[in-house]
Formats: sequence, C-alpha cells, structure tokens
Amino acid sequence: MFYQLIEQLRIDTLQQSLPLFGAELTLVVAIVLILLCRMLPVLEKVDSVWLGIVGVIAALIALRPFQPWSIGADGPVAIAMGQLQPTETFTGMLTHDGFAIAIKAILLFFLLLFFLLTKITKLSSRFDSADFVVLALGSILGMFVMSSANHMLMIFMGVEMASVPSYALVALQRRNKKGSEGALKYAVFGAGAAGVMLYGVSLLCGVLNSAHLPTMATRLSELFASEPSGSEVLVLALGGLMLGVGLSFKLSAFPFHFWCPDVFEGASAEVDAFLSIASKTAALALLVRVAVGFTTLPAEPAQVARATPPTIEQVAFVDAEAAPEKALQSSDPLAPARKFVVLLIGVVAVVTCTFGNLAAYAQTNVKRLLAYSTIAHAGYMMMAVPAAIAVAEVDKNSARQAIAYLALYAVIYLFMNLGAFAAIAFVREAVGSEEIKDYAGMLKRGPTLAICLTLILVSLIGLPPLAGFIGKFAIFAAIAQAWNLTSSPFLMFLLIAGGLNTAISLFYYLRIAKVMTIDSESDDTAPMQRPIGIIQNGYLVLVTAPLVLLLFNWDFLNAWLLEAVSHIIT
Amino acid sequence: MLTPEDSLPFLLGLAVLLPLVSFFVIFLFGKWLEQLGAHIATGAIAAAAMCSLTAAAIWMAQHAPPATHHAHPAESHAVISQSSVHLTALHDGEHDHDHADGLVHGEHDEHADDAHFVPPVYTGHWYSLGRFYGSEVAINYYIDALTIVMFCVVTFIATCIHFYAGGYMHEELHEVTDHEVTLADGTHLKRPGRYHRFFQYLSLFCFSMLGLVIAGNIAMTFVFWELVGACSYFLIGFYVERQSASTAANKAFIVNRVGDFGMLIGLMAIWASLATFNFGDVDRNGDGKLDPHEHGLFSLLRPAGENGLHELRVPDGMVLQGAKERVEEMIVAAQPGTTTADLESQILAQVSLWRDGKAKGDATHYGYWLLVIAGVGIFCGCVGKSAQFPLHVWLPDAMEGPTPVSALVHSATMVAAGVFLVARFYPVFAPEVLLVIACAGCITLLIGGSIAIVATDIKRVLAYSTVSQLGYMMLALGVGGWAAGVMHLVTHAFFKSLLFMCSGSVIHAVHTNEMTEMGGLRKKMPYTAYTMLVGCLAIAGVGVPSALGIPFGFSGYYSKDLMLEQAYLFRSANPLWGSIFFYAATGGAAVTAFYMFRMWYLTFAGEPRDEHRYKHAHESPRVMYVPLVVLAVMAVAIAWPIFGNYGLTNVIEQGRPIGLWSDMASLDGGYVWLHESKSHADEIRTPVGLMAFGAAMTGIFLASAMYLWRVLDPTDARRTFAPVYKFLVHKWWFDEAYDVLFVRPAKVIAACCVWIDKQCIDRLLHGLAWSVRQIARCGEAWVDQGAIDGAINWFAAKTYSTGAALRGMQTGSLRQYVMFIVVGALAMFVLMSFWSYGFAR
Repeated sequence: MFYQLIEQLRIDTLQQSLPLFGAELTLVVAIVLILLCRMLPVLEKVDSVWLGIVGVIAALIALRPFQPWSIGADGPVAIAMGQLQPTETFTGMLTHDGFAIAIKAILLFFLLLFFLLTKITKLSSRFDSADFVVLALGSILGMFVMSSANHMLMIFMGVEMASVPSYALVALQRRNKKGSEGALKYAVFGAGAAGVMLYGVSLLCGVLNSAHLPTMATRLSELFASEPSGSEVLVLALGGLMLGVGLSFKLSAFPFHFWCPDVFEGASAEVDAFLSIASKTAALALLVRVAVGFTTLPAEPAQVARATPPTIEQVAFVDAEAAPEKALQSSDPLAPARKFVVLLIGVVAVVTCTFGNLAAYAQTNVKRLLAYSTIAHAGYMMMAVPAAIAVAEVDKNSARQAIAYLALYAVIYLFMNLGAFAAIAFVREAVGSEEIKDYAGMLKRGPTLAICLTLILVSLIGLPPLAGFIGKFAIFAAIAQAWNLTSSPFLMFLLIAGGLNTAISLFYYLRIAKVMTIDSESDDTAPMQRPIGIIQNGYLVLVTAPLVLLLFNWDFLNAWLLEAVSHIIT
Repeated sequence: MLTPEDSLPFLLGLAVLLPLVSFFVIFLFGKWLEQLGAHIATGAIAAAAMCSLTAAAIWMAQHAPPATHHAHPAESHAVISQSSVHLTALHDGEHDHDHADGLVHGEHDEHADDAHFVPPVYTGHWYSLGRFYGSEVAINYYIDALTIVMFCVVTFIATCIHFYAGGYMHEELHEVTDHEVTLADGTHLKRPGRYHRFFQYLSLFCFSMLGLVIAGNIAMTFVFWELVGACSYFLIGFYVERQSASTAANKAFIVNRVGDFGMLIGLMAIWASLATFNFGDVDRNGDGKLDPHEHGLFSLLRPAGENGLHELRVPDGMVLQGAKERVEEMIVAAQPGTTTADLESQILAQVSLWRDGKAKGDATHYGYWLLVIAGVGIFCGCVGKSAQFPLHVWLPDAMEGPTPVSALVHSATMVAAGVFLVARFYPVFAPEVLLVIACAGCITLLIGGSIAIVATDIKRVLAYSTVSQLGYMMLALGVGGWAAGVMHLVTHAFFKSLLFMCSGSVIHAVHTNEMTEMGGLRKKMPYTAYTMLVGCLAIAGVGVPSALGIPFGFSGYYSKDLMLEQAYLFRSANPLWGSIFFYAATGGAAVTAFYMFRMWYLTFAGEPRDEHRYKHAHESPRVMYVPLVVLAVMAVAIAWPIFGNYGLTNVIEQGRPIGLWSDMASLDGGYVWLHESKSHADEIRTPVGLMAFGAAMTGIFLASAMYLWRVLDPTDARRTFAPVYKFLVHKWWFDEAYDVLFVRPAKVIAACCVWIDKQCIDRLLHGLAWSVRQIARCGEAWVDQGAIDGAINWFAAKTYSTGAALRGMQTGSLRQYVMFIVVGALAMFVLMSFWSYGFAR
C-alpha cells in the first residue's frame, strides 16, 4: 500500500511532471550555477548578468513557447500550442497549460530585456551583481509558480516566492535611505497582506474541505446546489475577500496600494520596471487562475495520461460526472460565485483605475507618477477579468478572447513601461534627477530620448497610432462584447468608467511630454552631466519600435495568445 | 520561352513596358540626367523596336503569310488551317471537319485564301482588374498579324523620331529664350530648358500607343486611348507659354473628348448587352474548352455559322436587350404554373426569330440597331482621334508642338490609333456603320485636300495632307477594303513622318514656317530636299500602272491603288454612293499630288525669296538627316512585293479578321460590300491604275506649271477664284462655325450660370453663412464659454483638487498603511455583505 503510493508518486514526479517543468528547472540550475561561480576564484570575474541572460535564454528554449511539451503515450512530445490540453503536474499542485506558458514566455522575454537594461545602466555592477541576478531569477521563479498554480498552497507559495526577493531588490541600493525605507514598508505591508490572505485561504479550505482548485470549485457548486446556510456563505465570502486582499496587494489595487508609490520612489527605476511589469503580469495571471478556477467547473478529468489517478483526482472525477445532472435542476450552481467574483473584481478595478489616475495628477516625481500610472493600468487590465467571467456562461469563446486580450495588453504594457522606466534610468544617469521639472528642454538635450519617451507616454494614454491603443481597445472590446452577450448593466458601467479614466489620464502623461518638448531649460533645471549615449538611445528605440510597429500587424500576437488560452475555460 | 504563344506576349509586353520604364526613370531623375535622358528614352524605344522585329521574325517563322490572292470563288472548300493557337483550336470544336488532329504548330497556311480561313491569333490574360457578376475586366492581349505590323511600324518610326529629336531639341538643354512669347515688359520669355521632359512625354506617348495596339479588350484600349490623348496634350502644349500652343493643346484634348463621349456610349452598349470587353476568346480557366463567358466579342458576333463563313450575326445578348419589351410581354403572358426554366427556354427559342425579324407579325430585327449604335459609338472615338470630319479641326493646330511631335502624332501614333481601332474592330461593324465610316472618310479627304492647296505654312500643308490621307484610309475601310486601309496606314506612317521631319529640318534651318520666305533651299540642304522629294513622290503614289506591264512604284502607289480599286469595286455594286466615293478619291489623288509638289517647289526650287534667311540656312546635323535617309528608303521600298510571300501586303492579309472573306449586304439589301479579293481582278486593276496614274500626273504637272515653270500664275488663279480661295483659306469656316455653334452658346450658358451662381446661390450662401456666424457668436459666448468651458474648467479643477486631496492619503506612515489593510478588508466586507444577503436569498 505504502509502496504503491511511493511508486505512484515516483511515476507522477519523474515521468509526468518533471519533463513539463523544464523552464523552472533551468532557472533553478542557473541560480545554483551563479552562486557556485562566486565561490570559484576563476569564474568570479564573470559578470553574473551574462550568466543570467544565458540562463533566461536556456529557459526560453526549454519552455518552447510556440510548440510546448506535452506528455504523450511514450514520453514528452512537442505539440502545437492550440492542441495542448491542460495537464496537472505534481499531484495536482500545478497545471501545465497554454496560458501559463504564454505568461512564462512574456516574463522570460521581459527578464531578457531587463537584464540588458541593467547592463546598460550598470545597475548590477554597482552592487553585488550575483545577488541582484539571483534575486531577480528567484522572484521570476515564484511568478512562474503563480502563473501555473492549481492549489491554494501553491498560490500562497508563489506569491511569497515572488515577493520576498522583491523586498530585497528594492533595498538593493544600500546607501539610499529611501530605498531602505521603501523596502521595509514593502516587507511589512507584504507580511500583513500575506497574513490576511493565509487566513482567507484557510477559511475557504475549511468550508470546502480541499485546497485543490478544481475540487474546490466542484465542492462549491455542490454547496450552492444544496441550499447553503447563511453562515457558510458568510465564511465563504469572507474567505474570498481575504484571498482577494493578498492578490490586491500584488496587483497594488486600491485600497492595498499604499506600498506602491513609496516603494517605487525608493527603488531604482530598473527595479520599478521589474515590479510594475513582471510582478503585475504574474499577479494578473494568478487573478485569472483564481477567478476562473472558482467560477468554472472542470468539465472532464484534467489529467490525460495518468496511469492511476490519485485519490484526490477520483473525487473530482466522480463529481464532474455528477455535475451535469445537477445542472439540469438548477441552471448553474456556480452562478452566485460568478456574480460575486465579477462584482468584487469589477468594483476594485474601477476604483483602482480611477484612484490611480486621479492621484497621479499632483505628482512631481516621475517615478511616483509612474507608480500611480501602474496602479491605474492594473485597474484597466483587471477589467478584462470580470468581462471574461461574466460572459463565460454565455459564450466561452468570447471569454477566452477576453483573457487573450488581457495577455495582449500585458505584452504591450511590457514595452511601454520598460521603455518609460528605462528612459527614467537614462535621465537619472545623465541629469541625476528624477523630478519632472528637470525634464525641461529634453527635446534639445536628448532628442531621441525625448521623442521615444513622448511616444511611450502617448501610448500609455492609449491614443490610436500607437500600440497602447490596441491594448486598451482590446480590453474595452472584450467588455463591450461581454455586455453585448449578457446585457449586464454592470459591464456597461465598467466600460464607461474605463473610457472616462482614459480621458482623465490624458493630462498627467502629456504634462511630462509638454515639459520635455515645449518647456525650455531654466536656471533651476538640473544640468546635463553627461550626454545620453548611443547605446542608451538604441535601447530606447528598440523598445519603442514595437509600439509603433505593432499597429501594422498585431494579429500574430493575438493568434498566439488565443491559441494559448484555447483550453482555459471549459 | 520557345513557343510563340509564350515568346510573343513576352517580347511585345517587354516592348510596351520599356518606354514606361524610361518614362519613370526620366520622370524621377530627369533633372540630373540632362542629355542622358534622351539616350535612355532612345535606347528604350530602340530596344522595343528590336523586340518588335524579333517578334515579327518569330511570327513569320511560325505562320508563313498566304500567297498573294486573286479573285477566288468563295465556294471552294479546302482544309482549314490549323496553325493558330487558341482561336483555331477552339473553333475546331465548334464545327466538325475532317481534320481533327495531327496538325502541329508551324504548319503553313497554304489555303489561306479560303473563305473559312481563320487568322492566327494569340490571346491571353495578364492581370484581372475586376469581376462583375462573372464578367471580367482584365489586362490581356490580342496578338495577330495586325498587332505585329503595328508594333514594328510604331517602334521603328518612333526610334527614328527619337534620334531626330535628340538633335532637334538640343536648344532645350540650356536656358531658352522663347522669341514667340513677349512678356508685359516687352522682353522675351526666358525659361529653363525642358529637354528631359520632352523625352519623358515621348516615352509615355510610345508606351500608350503600344499598349493600345496590344490591348486585348476594348476597355483596355479605351484606357490607353485616353493616355494617348493625355500625352498628345502634354506634347502639343510643350511650349506652354505660347498662347497658340496651349490653345491648340486644349483644343486637341477637348475635341477628342467629344469623340470619346461617343466611344463611351459604344462601350456601354457592348458591356450592357454582351458583358464582355474582350476581342478574342480567352480560355481563363485553362481547361482547353470555351465556356460561354470566355467568348470574346469577335466570336460572339461572328460565330462560325452553318457555312463556316463567320457571317455577322447579332448576338443573343443584344437581341434580348433589344427585345426587352417583347420579353416582358412574354413573362406577363406566361401561363400560371410555368416554371422559370420553361419560360427561359421559351424566350430563348424566340431569340433567333427576333433576330431575323421572323417573329409572328413583327418584322423588327431586334438588337440590330443596338449593334449599329455600338459600332457608330466606337467609330465616334476614332473620328476624334483620327481627325475625321467633323472633328478634324484639332489636327492642323496640333502642329504647334515641336516638329518631332508632329511627326509622331501625324504618322504612327495618335491619328493612327483611330484607323487602327477601326481595323481592329472591323468584325463588329455592321454594314450601315461601314457606310457611315466611308462617308466620313470621303468628306474628310475632300476637306483636307482642298485646304492644303492654299496653305502657306509648310507644316500646315502637311497637317491638312494628313487629314486628307486619314480620310482616304477611312474611306477604304468603309467600302470594305480592310487590307487597303491598313496598308495605307503603314505606308502613310513612313512617308508622312519623313515629310514632317524634313519640314522640321527646314524650319530648323530657316527659323520660319512660311513657305513664302523660303525657296531655292535644295542647294543649301540637299539631304533634306531630296528625301522630302522622295516623300512627295511616295504620297502622290507615283508608279508604273499595271496596264504598262510590271506594276512598280513608291510605297504610296501600292496602297493608293488598292484603295481606289476597292472604291471602284464598291461602285460596281452600289452605283450612286460608289461613284461619289470613287471620283472623290481619284480627284483627291490629283489634289494630293498638286499640293505636295507645290510645297516642294515653293520650298526648295526656284530662287530664294528671303535672302537673309537663305544666307543663314544650313543642312541639319547628321543625327537629324540620317533618320531622314532611313525613312526615305522605307518610304520607297516598304510596300515592294519583292520579298515573296513575306511582303507587307501578305502579312497584312494574314491579319484580316474572321468573317471578312465573303460579301456583305446591309439589312435592307440596298448596299452590298463585295469581298476585297475581287478588287484585284484585272478588269478593275487596269482602268483604276491608269486613272490613278493620270490623276497623280495631272497634279504634279499642274504644280510644275504653276510653281516651277511659272507658265501659269498662281495669283491669277487666286484672283479668278477669289470666293473659293477665301473659303479655303478660312478652312471652310469650320473654326468660325464651331465658334458660333458651340463655343459661344457654351460661353453664354456659362455666363448665365456664373450670374446665377454669383447673384443667387452665393448671396444665399453668404446670408446663411452670416446668420450661422451670428448664431455661433452667440453660442460661443453663452454655451461654449459659459457652459462647456465652465464645465470643463470646473471638472479639471475638481479633478486636480481631488488628486491633490488623494495625495494626502499617502502619509508615508507605515503603521497607517498596515491599518489600511484591515480597514480596507473590513470595508470591502461590509460592502459585499449588503449584497451577499441578496444572493443568499
């Protein structure tokens, strides 16, 4: 009996799970190697950033974002993205599906550009380069877990694995007091949020008797089908809310965003880029996972090629068979959960978005301003989730499309925010200031930078000729489509709020552009200490170019993401 | 590449595109190219000429032209030739003869005289422009012997003209002082040279003309037709600063539009009833069979028929279009319960009765008049482009352009386009249309010839001569002489370009157009003088008449005799009209000889009338007179029947379209068009040859008597026929008449419109605008500044202050932040629990 269990575990781990875990393993190997290199005097001289870049490329190759691995009858095979069935790995802890692979690919691609940026700004050589690279890689590893989490334990683990290295990253500039202060606030706030979240998780698991997401969804449907008592519902709602607090912290959603401006101001611009892009993308992926996980039933046993399913799977299997019968009685047992999720995320999204945009108005520090901009953009992106959940019961394709649009926005947002923070880092190098007023006359002082940053800002607003428009338009289109199909007034409200917010955001982005292009240098503008180099300008142009070029053809991206999400809502 | 069906379209397509490439190169880089531009243009057209000649060689190797024909009884039945590609193969399936297969490409057409002869044609598809309910408008090609001949003629003459223009236009390389344009301050206009631009337009002109020739459908023809018109507009108006030049360019353009209007009507008639523009059958889906929609106009209008003669038959589409009312009646009268398919078959059964006017109690030939309208419409376009009466007025003015342009316009390109289109479209023309063509040609030939007698401007004489010769061609085509008309088109192209370039050489030397200021120039410029004499002899058609044994002469002799023979033949069947046509043509021949020699004598013979000009006169540079010599040789020899079956006549004969191998009668049977081969009978050739010879000699003799020997005094004649002289000098009062009839009424109407526009519409609009402005001013003050701006400012101020207030929340105190986690979670819980009661219930 015991031996059988061990044998099953061995088969599950070595034959089913590890082959699909290649990218994560590569990252782990990279981390270990970097740490080992420091011990050997010969390899000490090697810059860890290069090793990190090699590791990221190796992970990308292992991930195979266009033809991912799948477990066939005889071992792992590479198949087309659209045919990849979601597979549970490590006895249901994680899930291996197209959405996770797409998010991981985006994260790795970002990390590549991020390492290049830190190489250019010499951020890593100023401090202990190996520490920095290992922290970034470790954080990304946590985000990988977040994006493929299938179990409450993994959700919590992922969030913590991603957060803890981030705290250290913020504090990397040891002599910077603000950095240390920001890191402390981040850590304490994170600890608080994690505590609340853990509490919520334990409440949910307690009521539903499981921590495995699909099983929890099945139990939830059973519970709703059998007239739950008021206290059960209350506990469930409280648990859901508290889980939401943890996610909101990672998303820096109102009212759990307070760490964000202080941390962004304290950390270096490069780390800000990391926090605002990688961390946010992973958090959104996790939000999608949790929201979708709780509101849709697993239609069929998620495992494809498992020899003897473990007990936990058997439960899911039996319940999944029983579910359609119940569906006949009450149209959809999960409808209340869906309503709850839509309303909760929708309200938080609108409030976050509006708050971020309004608070950005009076900022004088560029990084603080972009921190609020990040908050606002998190709000925009979150709006796609209620649209997807709301439309899922009517039209699954539209729901998938909404999630694909969310990922598309994340890709575009990657370029926009990376470009913006890179520009800030370059200006910091050249001028030594991060105040908006010191950007005056930038059109003359660094024309390439000024033009690229202006394009990026216009793209952040979402004005038509640039890629930001595509993202925003896609999100709004998803909401409009959902409204069309469900005619729920709440979605219309989301749409209007999103549109109004876009208009509000116009002002503060354009203020920077105006300062750079129209205002001329005055006496109290910080002088240029050194010109902006050609490599810096080249990097900026490289990052800005997709914003211009994507408008000509973004369909390939959409097609890839659509394939990736083709099995997410069953 | 090796088979002609591949190589011919490739070579000719290349010949079309080369000038276009040259145009674009000069268009883009002309400013920096300077003289190189001319070299590029000349090189391009010369290469095109090489392509065309190669294509001609391939053609002749593949399809040996038929032997010279004599009157053959149309009854003789022989094996149908099988050498052509699409058309023959496709027709093969239609009427079953005993020669199904085993005949390969390249077999000679030994029985080409046969009435069943189907000319070799290559049709094909290049690019589809659009599809409308299954009917296609495309860029495709139609290559037959006529195409080949036209390509050779156009590219060859254009090459000569390009070389010549390289010398003639050299002044344009530097800054030019135009002595004919006087500015307000009394000085002459100075402008930068436009050498490259001239060659740029020339290249475009050649491209347009070649595209027109290779066009495989009437729509494509129309496009290139308009391009030719636009190019002629650019070139005639090349000296745009001169009032006369810009007016002439406008005139040419506008008069041509009048003709094109008719052509559009023709196009519409064809498209609406037949749903195709293609000349030939194009096998679009490549299955080797012809689907109904793959038929071209020619096979629709001239199906093989029972006797295989390809007689003109009104196609079903036109009959149905014409009998629309009858069809509607049938639909209305249909028994209830009749299916659509039944009704359709009933209607189709009626079609042949309607076509032949045999329907019960209804002798109307439905659709026939639609066919006539289509034909006359197309011919209207030709009237404009080929300067036929009544639209001939633009051509004489067109010589305001530089002389090389005149040479090109008057010989191989613009005016040739009209005649070419009549020849190309010949199978579509109903007999009634042919009569119209013949009448137009006859009138034009008389008008042109008569005015040329009194003109004193050397280029004007040539211009009216062109008008007259074009009339000849149209007359010949109209009386059924397809080969005669085309033949004259070719020979005329050579000697008229020669004559124009000679006149250009003279003008280049003496800097005036007036023949009254020339004289005696043959001593100063012998090349020009004697090549021009060759041109005069050729256009007069000098040669030994067949009655005197071996018929032999200049190129014009052959074509003119062919045309006169056909007119004579026409007279034998239709005495009244035939007589008018024949005598007009014969008289015209005498007139032609007279004015040509008058011109030559006034220019080159006798004593110089203006010593100053004579002293400065000189022979033109070699680059100009070498083309003259080349063209002179061609003008003499192009039509010589010394190349066996490969002579010009034979090749042209090979291009004779289907269905022109039998006699044709008009609908009421009143007019009969006899088949052209009958005109080669000796009983026609002998008298006609003598009469033509006599006419030409009379003209030359009269001219010599008046201007060489001075036996007769021209001024005497002028005084004696004063009213006639005045009439002719004023060009039959055409310009004045058009001025009174069309231009002035148009201007009056325009003035009325302007008055209405200014006094009524403008005032109304101004009033409206004023009131709108008043309203807007009020609106701005109250609504915009008060309400909207106020609202926006209020909103902005509120937003900003809200932002600033929100900033206050960010206190920076960590303790407060952690508090907010709890507070936030609690607040959300409270918020949600209000609602959660809703779903718990």
